[in-house]
Amino acid sequence: MRIKIRAFAGFREILGKEMIVEIGSGSKVADLINHLCEIKPELRGALFSDAGELRDYFMIMLNRRRLDLPEDLNADLSDNDEVAIFPPVAGG
Amino acid sequence: MISDGEIDLVEILGSSIKPDAGAVVAFVGVVRADPGVMGLEVEAYEEAALEELRRIKEEAIARFGVSSVDVVHRTGRLSLGEVIVVVVCGSSHRREAFQACEYVIDELKRRVPIWKKEQTEEGERWVRGDAC
Repeated sequence: MRIKIRAFAGFREILGKEMIVEIGSGSKVADLINHLCEIKPELRGALFSDAGELRDYFMIMLNRRRLDLPEDLNADLSDNDEVAIFPPVAGG
Repeated sequence: MISDGEIDLVEILGSSIKPDAGAVVAFVGVVRADPGVMGLEVEAYEEAALEELRRIKEEAIARFGVSSVDVVHRTGRLSLGEVIVVVVCGSSHRREAFQACEYVIDELKRRVPIWKKEQTEEGERWVRGDAC
C-alpha cells in the first residue's frame, strides 16, 4: 500500500518535505518507521537513543491526528494514509 | 489563517471592529532581535495548523463568550521587527477579550504545528519547542 510521508523542520531536512512509500498491506506505524530508517539511516538517530529507545522529542500525526507514542506504534495503516513526522512545535 | 505575505494589521484589526464588540484586544508577535539573530524562517504543516487553529478558536469562544477570534500566522522568511503572528479577539467587554487573546496565543504556541529556524551570525538553528 502507498503511504504519504510529510516531514517538517529538522525531520524535513532528513526525509525531504514529502514522499510516497510503498509498504506491505497490514503494516503498522512501527513497520513504517523501520522502513523509513532503512531508506534514510540518519533518521534512526533522530528517533531512537543509542540504547534503541524511542526518543520523546518528536511527534507523529496519522491523517492529521496526533498519535500517542509509544502505544500507537501498533496503529494500523491503510492505503493512502498520510503520516507526518515533526519535532515539538515552536510557533508564535 | 496562515500567510506567506506581510500581515496587514489595519485590515485584521479593522475587520474585528463591529458594533456588537465593545472591546477588541490584539496580541501582536514580532521577530525579536535576540543577540546574534538576523532573521527567521517559519514553516507550518498548513492543513494541520489550520485545523488546530479552528479548534482553539472554537474553544476560546466557548470558554470566554467572545464574539470573534481571528488569527494570522506568517510563514517564510521574516526580518527582525516583522510581525509573525496576530491574534484579535472581539467581545462585549474587555475582560473576556483579554482572557481569550491570552488563551489563544498560549494554545497556539503549545499545539499548532509551526516551527521557526533562526538565522544567526554562526549559521541556522531550529528554535526548540517544549518537550512533547
